[in-house]
Amino acid sequence: MIRFGMLQFRIQTITAAVTLAAFAVLLAATGPHLASAYAADGLDICHGSGCLSPATYFTASLARSPYAVVFLLSTGIILLAPAVIGLFWGAPLIARELETGTAALAWNQSVTRTRWLAVKLAIGGLTAMAVTETLSLMQTWWAVPISQAVADGSGAGVAQSRFSQLNFATHGITPLGYAAFAFALGVTAGALIRRTVPAMAVTLAIFAALQVAMPLWVRPNLAPPDRTVIPVTSLGGAGPSQTGPGGDTFSLYALTIPGQPGAWILSSGPVNAAGRRVSTTPAACTSVGTGPGGGPQGNAFLPGQGPAAFVGCLASHGIREAITYQPASRYWRFQATETAIYLALALALAGYCFRRLRRLS
Amino acid sequence: MNAVIAASGLGKQYRHTWALRDCTLAIPEGHVVGLVGPNGAGKTTLLCLATGMLAPTRGTITVLGERPAAGPAQLARVGFVAQDTAVYARLTVADHLRLGAWLNPGWDDDLARQRIGQLALDPKQRAGSLSGGQRAQLALTMAMAKRPELLILDEPVASLDPLARREFLQGLMETVAEQRLSVVLSSHLVADLERVCDYVVVLVASRVRVAGEVSDLLASHHRLSGPRRDPGSLPAGQEVITESHTDKQTSLLVRTDGPVLDPAWAVKPVSLEDLVLAYMSRAGDDAPARRQHLGVAS
Repeated sequence: MIRFGMLQFRIQTITAAVTLAAFAVLLAATGPHLASAYAADGLDICHGSGCLSPATYFTASLARSPYAVVFLLSTGIILLAPAVIGLFWGAPLIARELETGTAALAWNQSVTRTRWLAVKLAIGGLTAMAVTETLSLMQTWWAVPISQAVADGSGAGVAQSRFSQLNFATHGITPLGYAAFAFALGVTAGALIRRTVPAMAVTLAIFAALQVAMPLWVRPNLAPPDRTVIPVTSLGGAGPSQTGPGGDTFSLYALTIPGQPGAWILSSGPVNAAGRRVSTTPAACTSVGTGPGGGPQGNAFLPGQGPAAFVGCLASHGIREAITYQPASRYWRFQATETAIYLALALALAGYCFRRLRRLS
Repeated sequence: MNAVIAASGLGKQYRHTWALRDCTLAIPEGHVVGLVGPNGAGKTTLLCLATGMLAPTRGTITVLGERPAAGPAQLARVGFVAQDTAVYARLTVADHLRLGAWLNPGWDDDLARQRIGQLALDPKQRAGSLSGGQRAQLALTMAMAKRPELLILDEPVASLDPLARREFLQGLMETVAEQRLSVVLSSHLVADLERVCDYVVVLVASRVRVAGEVSDLLASHHRLSGPRRDPGSLPAGQEVITESHTDKQTSLLVRTDGPVLDPAWAVKPVSLEDLVLAYMSRAGDDAPARRQHLGVAS
């Protein structure tokens, strides 16, 4: 049965090999240049806080370079790989046999349906996981300079922190879970709908919905978030913005947390001394740092004063920044939990397929 | 008599309709059995239940004494060629023989190669580019080469032209003669069955109307024609299957184990086709409305 499974999986194997080879060529051709650009900026020998400025410069300059294209392209391929596998490997696995009538041939050899499905799921599922994870590892290797610069720098531009949606879903072990789940989802949809093309559509819809729902609603709650309140003056990154007539309301977001590099900030906002959320600018600060006429929209600060004076005024009126976040140290715990969720879903779907297959014809 | 297929109260329901309902039958071993009946009689459903492609909604079915597709050993004992004789379009003829060898411990590679050679199929040709007849032959080869004790064929020749049909049935007969296996073959083309079957089962609306060895059936059925008379006046032991009357004449198809002695009748033998058609058009006990309708028509 294994040999038969391999024979039927021939085209998929060739497709996977060609994709992996093309991906490897793309990354191998650009990787050394990226590394040398990293070295040319002196980043390969610098460590710690001294690197902040060159690392930030490096990540900012990347956004305008061809490496950004390679980075986004390869990230896109890794994100799409599980969906493509679910559609083209998973959905036809049972549905195509039923549609073409070859199920009657396959299930009337001296092999039970259970064994037939077990072998097919094992070959398809393990290949799907191996291919996706290999893509991910290749890109992780390629992006080492970027990841390092992001960790050392202020982390903006094309290259986000490890917890960002793009990076979390394409690095580490999550691609294993996505690939296994998407494949099992395709097989299940095919077994239920019994026609390949509708099964593909349903697979895509469910997988896409889950990939959106997961980072929005599930992942932030995989562990209770930590909370901290820090002085507004210690916020890095973008400054405050003032809105409303006369600049009477303002907002202030945290992009990083001092002492917590790489933390995943879930929410942030200014609070008053009592710990309540505030958005109304203290009266004393409305004209501080703002431009002539009060700056009705956005960042309109007097020359020479800038946002720092405004933030200083907010701080002197007892306003601090409240942040909920997941510390960077939880990265692997989150990776493992999310992967386990997807693998468990994949196993449950596979189990359902075994039950369903007994009643199919 | 050991039954290759034994069904009791067998039923299969799809959502709201019954494809097969309360079917009880026993098909003996060692025969080439023709399963005949009109479209919708439940032939395909019955054969799919017999191969385990379907699970029964009600009742039981055993094949060679076991539940269909109960395990690898049971699967190895039954060969099946489905109605559409589907094969893997992308795989070559040789690939099919390879997968047959991989998946069946009892695979007879010599037989498979010999048949492919006789059929002049190119082993390197993709199955998707074979003609309908060649595809059916390939599917039959795969079912035969696993050396089953029972071969089940669901309308295998329905889509073939007359020549391909004859070749297919000839190939089947040759193998049956060599391998001593039981065959159950469904068809609504009685002429095909006449050539190959020595046992016939007529299935109408899930019910067995008549079953028996072809030679026995032909010997015990007669067409009687003579002056018009009431069929109720026939002696006991003569069962009327169909009757038709004109003003002066009566024509009957009767079943009797003894000879027809009444000199008023002209007695003629019946063909298998006549016999099968007679039973197919005969009203069943479960269809009073139909009986009335047929009574008017005949």
